[in-house]
Amino acid sequence: MNTLKRWLNTAKSHSRWAVISVPYLWMLLFFAVPFLIVLKISFAYQVVAIPPYTGLLELADQSVLMKLNLTNYLQLMVEDKYIDAYLNSIQIAGISTLLCLLIGYPMAYTIARLPPTSRNIALMLVILPSWISFLIRIYAWMGILQTNGLLNKLLLGIGIIDTPLRIMNTPLAAYIGIVYAYLPFMILPLYANLVKLDLRLLEAAYDLGARPWKAFLTITLPLSRRGIVAGCMLVMIPAVGEYVIPELLGGPSTRMIGRQLANEFFVAGNWPMASAVAIVMLLLLMVPILIFNHIQGKEMEGRLT
Amino acid sequence: MAANPEAVRPERSAADERYVFIDDVTKEFDGFVAVDDVSLSIRKGEIFALLGGSGCGKSTLLRCLAGFEKPTTGRILLDGQPMNDLPPYERPINMMFQSYALFPHMTVEQNVAFGLKQDGMPKPDIKRRVEEMLNLVQMVKFAGRKPHQLSGGQQQRVALARSLAKSPKLLLLDEPMGALDKKLRSQMQLELVNIVEKLGVTCVMVTHDQEEAMTMATRIALMDSGRIRQVGTPDEIYEQPTSRFAAEFIGSVNIIEGVIKDDEKDFVTIQSAALAHLIHIGHGISGFEGQRVNFALRPEKITVTKDEPADAHNKAQGVIEDIAYFGSHSVFHVRLPSGTRLMAHFANRKRWASENFTWTDKVWLSWGDNAGVVLPA
Ligand SMILES: Nc1ncnc2c1ncn2[C@@H]1O[C@H](COP(=O)(O)OP(=O)(O)OP(=O)(O)O)[C@@H](O)[C@H]1O
Ligand SMILES: [Mg+2]
Repeated sequence: MNTLKRWLNTAKSHSRWAVISVPYLWMLLFFAVPFLIVLKISFAYQVVAIPPYTGLLELADQSVLMKLNLTNYLQLMVEDKYIDAYLNSIQIAGISTLLCLLIGYPMAYTIARLPPTSRNIALMLVILPSWISFLIRIYAWMGILQTNGLLNKLLLGIGIIDTPLRIMNTPLAAYIGIVYAYLPFMILPLYANLVKLDLRLLEAAYDLGARPWKAFLTITLPLSRRGIVAGCMLVMIPAVGEYVIPELLGGPSTRMIGRQLANEFFVAGNWPMASAVAIVMLLLLMVPILIFNHIQGKEMEGRLT
Repeated sequence: MAANPEAVRPERSAADERYVFIDDVTKEFDGFVAVDDVSLSIRKGEIFALLGGSGCGKSTLLRCLAGFEKPTTGRILLDGQPMNDLPPYERPINMMFQSYALFPHMTVEQNVAFGLKQDGMPKPDIKRRVEEMLNLVQMVKFAGRKPHQLSGGQQQRVALARSLAKSPKLLLLDEPMGALDKKLRSQMQLELVNIVEKLGVTCVMVTHDQEEAMTMATRIALMDSGRIRQVGTPDEIYEQPTSRFAAEFIGSVNIIEGVIKDDEKDFVTIQSAALAHLIHIGHGISGFEGQRVNFALRPEKITVTKDEPADAHNKAQGVIEDIAYFGSHSVFHVRLPSGTRLMAHFANRKRWASENFTWTDKVWLSWGDNAGVVLPA
């Protein structure tokens, strides 16, 4: 009896390990290994060969030599085109995130306050566009924003403007595209947070003399902080590395790091440089993620003590 | 335990009598009448309880007072001032919410200070007032804690401090003890009454717990499907119910249906199929001969004896069907020859006293001439 129990217990703990190890294996295989490969390539030299980069280890005179090429990273730090691209990416992603927040918060708030049936319809409408291919939607925006596109035709037709606006191939077009594409990623976590808000807390605030706007600032907003942070991360992180939207809508004037990376890889065929660009971008993105984790960890601690 | 209004305010002016004046208030939710033409006058300094079963509209009436619901018709006046058009944040009324609604992201101190801040009170004054309030509810030690780090009883103290901090003209309590266990409940009932009395704040509370209403309130309004059925002090409602509903809602009661046989100036008799003898009432009532009535008799007003009581007008013999032992007293369920069952309390004044009686024993029940209440059928 006892041995059976013990055996069951060990089996239980084994199966627990099995359950945990699957996602970890997945991460190892599809995140850690590719990352290490890219990291390795970023320290190599470009050569004309297949593959077009050198190995890091060399066998010579009965010793193993490791040769790390740091010029890629040094170049990244000094050359204007890279620095510009990074700063531009961060700026565009940052402003887009802010715009998403400013547009998404009222939307999420309104949806969360709808009666349950219309709530689901409204959520559906937020998600529905993503059933259409991303590329097709971006091409649709090209059709709208072009000099002789729908928007200009409409504005000219109404008579608000008399010369067509040049939006296509400007940073503005890139902003429009990014905000449009990432808005659902802002709305959904905010909605999930706001719909849980205990409305009696707002009543308590009114009861204690807070006007609606003040109650929003002191109760709703602080209590939705997790949703804000989650939404901003979900928009900011992919937006920094965004390639397609600035390429198709923003034109050559919108220099983001994604384009730089693609240039190095496809045009210059410089795999090591492209890898270094990717690694630095990843490190830049780590900063907000770590801050986020830190805040969350602290909050958890507060909750437990 | 209940607050004694005479002690708090020896003399009351007419304005104090109508400190809170609810005037023909009706509240409808798309056709459904939740509060039905309610009129109430609540005195300054009293603890007034709205008592009723689930869905009777007591919370809705309280929310009308707080300003979260607008009465469909009728007026609410506080200290002579009409409240109807004031939003909740402009009413000098504060509420202690059911399950408290403490702000989870603020400390105890910040929770209590919240209302004061909205008034733009200077910081040092806020600090002083918060400390005073936390002292009052004995929560100074916990000033820096967040609500989730407090027990239910402690959360309630904070909620009370928060709703009292602004010295409201009217304090509203929604099921104040609803989230507490039984033991803590009776302790907090006492404490809450003490604090509210100390500050002299007028208080309207909502509860479905008759015991809570009886222990805490100076007066009780009994509600049923949106209407007020009776208003009175706890003992008035208990001893002098005006309807079968009121008699049955509070405490336990034997209801004997009958017809008025003799309607004299100084006594009345009621004939009932349930009893062999006429019920004799030692005073006149406003009824007429032949009127169908309910005779309400509390179990503790009945005396249980082995032998036939010689001098009682009102008596009945029966068989003990069931005995429920409650320690301080036992409840006998006695079946009369007519088939009617009556409940009678037997005080266990001596140890093992109720052992003199057992199942299937024949016993005599008797009660005094003024022991019961005659209610319209
Ligand atoms: N916002 C609302 N919309 C529609 N009906 C409502 C609303 N609020 C309350 N009611 C209805 O009004 C009636 C009274 O509700 P109320 O909350 O006042 O009951 P209560 O006496 O407090 O009961 P409980 O003890 O269960 O809390 C109920 O039948 C309820 O369904
Ligand atoms: Mg209620």
